[in-house]
Amino acid sequence: MTYYVGVDIGGTFTDFVSFDIKKNTITAWKNPSTPVEPFDGVMDGLRKMPDLEAVSRLRLGTTIATNAILQRNGAKIAYVTTKGFRDIPFIQHGNRKSHYDMTWIKAKPLVLRQHCYELDERLDQNGDILTPLDEDEVLSLARKIRDDGEVEAVAVNFLFSYINPAHELRVKKIFAEQLPDIPLSISYEVLPKWKEYERASTTLADAYVKPLVARSFASMKQRFEAVGLGGRVAVMKSNGGESSFAGAAAQPIQMTVSGPTGGVVASRAMSKLIDEPNIVTFDMGGTSTDCATIINGEERFTTNFQIEWGLPIQIPMIDVRSIGAGGGSIAWIDKGDLLQVGPQSAGADPAPACYGRGGIEPTVTDSNLVLGRLKADEFLGGEMNVDLELARKAVEGVANKLGMGIEETANAIVQIANNSMVGALRSVLLEKGHDPRDFTLLGFGGAGPLHICDLMELEGIPRGIVPIHPGQFSALGFVMTDARTDKQRTIQQTSLHFDVATSNKMMKELVELAVNELRSQGYTQVLEIYRNIDLRYFGQNYELQIPFTEEKFDEKSLEDLWKRYHEAHDARFNFYIPGETIEMVNLSISVVAPTPKPKLTKIAKGTGTPVSMDERDIWFDKTFFATKVYDRSDLLADMFVDGPAIIREDSATTVLRPGYQVQADAYGNLIITKKRK
Amino acid sequence: MDPIMMKILDSSMVSVCREMGITLMQTSYSTIFNEALDFSCAIANTDGDMIACAEFCPAQIGGMPLMAKSIIKEIPLDDIYEGDVLLHNDPYRGGLHTPEHTFFKPIFCEGELRGFAVSIGHIAEVGGMVPGGFPGEATEIFHEGLRLPPIKIVKRGVMNDDVWKIILANVRTPRYNYGDLRALISAVDLGVAQMTRLYNKYGANLVDQTSKDLMDYSERRMRAEIEKIPDGIYAFEDLVEDDGIEDRQYKIAVEVHKTGSDVIADYTGSSSQAKGPINATLGVTMSATYNAMLHMTDPDIPKNSGCFRPIKVIAPPTTVVNVDFPAPEVGGNTETHPRIAGTVIGALAGVIPHLAMAAEGCTHGNFVFGGVHAASKEFFACYDIEVVGWGGRSFADGNDACDSINGNCRVTPVEVFEVRYPWRVKEWAFREDSGGPGKFRGGVGYTKTLECLNDEIIISQMTDRHKTYPWGLKGGLPGDNGATLFKQGGKGNWKNAVQLYGKASPSKYSNISIKKGDLVSLVMPAGGGYGDPKDRSHKAVKQDVAEGYVSINAAKNIYGL
Amino acid sequence: MKFSGNGLYVEKYVKCMNCGVLIYETDLPKSVDAGDGKLYCGKWCLNWAASRAERKSKESA
Repeated sequence: MTYYVGVDIGGTFTDFVSFDIKKNTITAWKNPSTPVEPFDGVMDGLRKMPDLEAVSRLRLGTTIATNAILQRNGAKIAYVTTKGFRDIPFIQHGNRKSHYDMTWIKAKPLVLRQHCYELDERLDQNGDILTPLDEDEVLSLARKIRDDGEVEAVAVNFLFSYINPAHELRVKKIFAEQLPDIPLSISYEVLPKWKEYERASTTLADAYVKPLVARSFASMKQRFEAVGLGGRVAVMKSNGGESSFAGAAAQPIQMTVSGPTGGVVASRAMSKLIDEPNIVTFDMGGTSTDCATIINGEERFTTNFQIEWGLPIQIPMIDVRSIGAGGGSIAWIDKGDLLQVGPQSAGADPAPACYGRGGIEPTVTDSNLVLGRLKADEFLGGEMNVDLELARKAVEGVANKLGMGIEETANAIVQIANNSMVGALRSVLLEKGHDPRDFTLLGFGGAGPLHICDLMELEGIPRGIVPIHPGQFSALGFVMTDARTDKQRTIQQTSLHFDVATSNKMMKELVELAVNELRSQGYTQVLEIYRNIDLRYFGQNYELQIPFTEEKFDEKSLEDLWKRYHEAHDARFNFYIPGETIEMVNLSISVVAPTPKPKLTKIAKGTGTPVSMDERDIWFDKTFFATKVYDRSDLLADMFVDGPAIIREDSATTVLRPGYQVQADAYGNLIITKKRK
Repeated sequence: MDPIMMKILDSSMVSVCREMGITLMQTSYSTIFNEALDFSCAIANTDGDMIACAEFCPAQIGGMPLMAKSIIKEIPLDDIYEGDVLLHNDPYRGGLHTPEHTFFKPIFCEGELRGFAVSIGHIAEVGGMVPGGFPGEATEIFHEGLRLPPIKIVKRGVMNDDVWKIILANVRTPRYNYGDLRALISAVDLGVAQMTRLYNKYGANLVDQTSKDLMDYSERRMRAEIEKIPDGIYAFEDLVEDDGIEDRQYKIAVEVHKTGSDVIADYTGSSSQAKGPINATLGVTMSATYNAMLHMTDPDIPKNSGCFRPIKVIAPPTTVVNVDFPAPEVGGNTETHPRIAGTVIGALAGVIPHLAMAAEGCTHGNFVFGGVHAASKEFFACYDIEVVGWGGRSFADGNDACDSINGNCRVTPVEVFEVRYPWRVKEWAFREDSGGPGKFRGGVGYTKTLECLNDEIIISQMTDRHKTYPWGLKGGLPGDNGATLFKQGGKGNWKNAVQLYGKASPSKYSNISIKKGDLVSLVMPAGGGYGDPKDRSHKAVKQDVAEGYVSINAAKNIYGL
Repeated sequence: MKFSGNGLYVEKYVKCMNCGVLIYETDLPKSVDAGDGKLYCGKWCLNWAASRAERKSKESA
C-alpha cells in the first residue's frame, strides 16, 4: 500500500494530492470539475495515478449535501412535532437580516407548511411527561404520510426531547416499521441541545439531504469498487474528520461545508510540524475568501453555521468564515463617488476582463495583472493566456471616474479588497478576544500567496507562511486527518445545585455513543477522548467552552472547573464575578480515531539567494519597482530572498513587498518576515 | 478626502462597534439583551456627533446622536477624565425611555480627549411601579423607574460605589442589573481600548479628519437618495388607540416636506401628550423619522450623524411626539416609534410606492412579568418580546413573524422560557386569514398562549393595535389586530383586561395578578395588504390555501378565486 | 433649561416652541424670544412656524 490520496471537489476545479509513503513524495494536480456528475471529474483525475490498487486510503471532500441545500433541490420532507408548535420553523428567530432593508424576504424553511404535523405529546422542562405519546395517533400519522405519496424523508422534533428522548425514539421505531422506505431523522440523534428552533432547523436539514446522499453514496461506492478502491474510501466531514460512507449516510448533515476544512486541517498539521501554535489562515479563491484560526495548535469549532441567513445548522464544524472577496471581485464606483470592491464577482462568466470572455468590469485579478504581480503567461501554470490590455482598459474605466492613474487605481482596488479580507481576519480573531499581531498568517488557494504580504503590512502581522502546494492545500489536508466524531448534549446543572450522579451518567453515555459510532464504522485503534464543558454565569445567555480533563465529576474536579471558568471569563472579558453561580449548559465530547499519516519530509538545504530566472516591473504603493522573479523549486531550505520579489510555482504566485524577506524552512514552506535592518 | 483611508477607517470603526456588541451579548444577563439583542454600540466625537455604529437596534441607532449631544451639553469636556464612565437614561434630555441606559467612556490620545465609545442597552427591570419596566398605567415618570441624569458611574477607573448602591437598592433584581451594567461597561472599555489603538496607528489628526470626511460622505449619499423623491408636501395620520388611563385616541400627524435634497418632517397637529405612557420623547420621534428614511433609501450608506443631516424633525413640545416632564413615556420608544415611522412611510408611499410597505403590526407585545420563584425564592422579572406580521409590498408579500421596524429583536425560545420562568407555553401558532388581503398579502400574526405554574405572577403590558388595525395600501385590506385574553383557572370564555380585571385599556395595564392555572393568550397583529386582493395571482392564492395561511372561504369571497 | 442654583437638578425644561429641542444656557444667544412665553431656538424655527400658520389659514379659507 503506497499512496494516501486526498480529493477536493471545487466549483471550477477538483484538486488531487497523492502522497507516496514509500518515497515520501507529494504529487499534486488539478482537473476541471464536472458539476453535473462530480464523480466523473474525480474518476478522470484519478487516471493520473499509476496504480489505484496501491492506494491505502482515499479521502473525498464532497459538496453534494451543501449544494442540495444551497440550490434547494433536496428531498420533500415532513416535519413531526409537539402539538401547538408546528410553526416553529416558520417563526424562526423573529429578527431581520438587515435593519433597513424593506426588500428582504424571510428565508423559507426546507419543509412546506402543509407537511408539518403535530402529535399530542408534551414533556416539561425537566423531561417529565405531561402528555404521553398516543401510539394510535402515531400510526395514523404514518398512514397519512404514506398515503400522501410525496414525502421522501421525515424529521421529528419534540420539545425538551434533548432531556428525555423516549417519545422521539418510540416514533422512530413505529415509523421504521410502518414506513421502512422513508428515512427518518430525530432531533435527539442529530442535535440534542436546547432551543427548539435551532434543533428543528438542523434536523430538517439532515432529513432534507438524507435520500440524496444515500443514493449518491451507494452509486459512489459501486464506482470506487469497480476501479479497485473498495473499502478504502472515506468522506470528509465538516469537523475536519473522515467518516465511512455508512456513517456519513446516517447523518448527512455532518458533511455540509466539508470542503474548506481541508485547508484548516493542513494548517493544523503544519502548525505542529514547524511549531507555530497560533495561525490565522486565509484561502483566497476566485469568488470568496475563507478564514480560519489555529489557536495553541488546535483548530476552532463553531456551532453557528447558517445555510442562509436565518436557517442555522448547529452541528460542530470547523469555524471557517467566508467573505465575498476574491480574485474575481468587481471594482465599481458608488453614488458617493467612493471606490468599492465586491461583493459581486465576475465568476467564471464573464470572468475577469483579462480572460477575454466579454467581461469589461475591472476585477482584483485584472488589477494584479496591471500592477505586474501576475504575468499574462503565468495563469494556470502557463496553460491559459490572458490579455493585459483588456485588464488595463477595464481598470481605466474606473480610473477616469476617480481622476487617478491606471496603476494607482489598480493599487487602490487591491488595497480595498485587502481591507475586506483583513476585516474578515479580524472578526474571526477578535470575537474571541485575540489580537492579529500575535498570530502568523498562512495564505493559500489560488490567490492567497498574491496578497499575503499586503495583509501582513496592513494589519501589522509579523510572520507569514506560504505553505507547500498552496494551490492544493485543502486536498493535502485531507490526506493528513483522522476519523473524528463530535457529540453534544444540553445538561443544565448549576454550581449551586449539581446532581453528580445524573451528570456523570450523561457524560458516560455521551462518550459511549461517540465511541460506538467510530467502532461501528470499523475503527479498531485506540481512541482519543476529549471532554469540554460549556459554562456561563447563571443569568448570562452565552457560554465559554472549558476543557475537562477528568473522566468524572466529583467535588475536586468541579472545584477546579469553576475556578478555571472564572479565570477564563476574566481573561476574555476583563472581569469576572467571584461567588456568582455558574451554570453548566452543554457537554461536548470529541472522540478521535487517529489514522496513519504521511510524514512530510525535509527538502534539500542550501545557502544564500538562488539565481533569479527573470525580472520585471511591479507596482508597490506609488511606483514601479524593478523586481526579480524566482522559481520556488530553486529555493532550498534556509535560502532566502529579499523583497521586492516574485516567487513563482505552477499553482500560485507569491508576492514579496519591498522591506520584506522570505526564507524557505526545512520543509519548503516560505516564511515571510519584515527584513531585519 | 482620501477614499481608501475613509473606507479602511470606516470598516475599522464599525468593526470596533461590532466587537463591543459581541462583548455585550456574551456577558449580559437579561434575555432582552442577549436573546433579543436590544442594545447598540457607537463611536462619537467631542461634538457629540456619531461617527460609526454597529447594526444592533434601529431605535437606538437613530436616537444615539441626540443622546451623545445631550451628555456633551451637561458635563463639560474638561470635567471628563481618562477612565471615567458616564451614564444617563433621562428621557427628557435626549433619552428614549427609562429602561434604555447609555454609557459613554472618553477616548484620550496623548492626553487629549478625542471622542467617546458609547454603549446603550435596555435593562429589563428598572424599579418603578411594575416588575419588568413597562407600567401600562403609569401617569408620571416617577412610576416608571429610576431616572438617572448624566452621572459618572466609574471615576478615573474606580467604580463609584455610592452610585451602584443607589441603583441596585431601587430595582427588584439587583444581581441581574449588576451583571447587565457590568456588561455595558465592559463594552465601552473595549471600545476605548480599540479606538486608542486606531488613534495610535493612524495619528489623531488623520482619524479626526477622516471621520469628518466620512460624515460628509454619508450626507452626500443620503442627499443623492432624497433627490430621487419628487418634491412636495405629503401628509399622513395614524392613531394610537388608547393610553392605559383614558379610552381616547391619540393622533400622530406628519407633513413630510421634500425639497431638493432636504426632508423636513413636521409633526405639528399631533395630539397633546397623553396621561398614560404612550408619549414619545423628542429622541424617539427623531429616531423614528430617521428610521423611516433609512428604510426608504440605500441600506449600504454608512450610518453616522452625516446621513441624518438632510433630515429635520419638527416636534412641538407637550405633544405625544415630544413629551414634557413629568408625563410618562415608557411606551413611546417601543409602541409609538413604529407608528411614527409608519406615518412617514405612509406619507411617501404615494410617490415612491416601490419602496413603501403597508402597515406592519407595529408592536413588540411588551409583555412584562415578575414574581418569586417557588423553589429558589429569588425574584424574577422578564420583558418578553413578541413579533408581528409585516405589511405587503409592491413586489412581495409581507414577512411573517418579524420584530417591528424600530427593533430587530429575537423571540425567546420556548425551551429557554420554560426553564427560566414558571410558565408553560400551550401553543405558539400562526392564525389563518390574519394577513391583510391584497395582491401582496400582509404577513400573518401568531398567538402564544401561556399557563401560569407559579402561585402568582404579576403581569403588566404596554402594547397597541387591539382596537385599530394595521392599515393596507393601494386597495389592500387591513391586517388582523391583536388582543390579550385571559381564562381564569383555564375555564370559561376568553376575556380581556377590561372585561375581567376592570382596567381602562385591554392593551395597557399594570400589575394584574395571575394565579396558578390561569391562561394568558397573546394575540399578535398581522401586516396590512398591498394592492387589490382580486389582483393576486390564482397560483399564489391556491398556495396560500394549501399552506393554511388563507381559508377556502376567504379565497373565494375576498380573493375572488 | 433652567438648573437649580446648586446645579443639582433641573427646575424647568425649556424647549423650542417649533421644533421641540431643549434650549440650554449656551444656546440662548442664538434663540429668539417672540414674547408670550414663546421661545424659538433660532430664526429658522420662528420663520417656519409663521409660514406654516399662514399656509394653514389659507387652506382653511
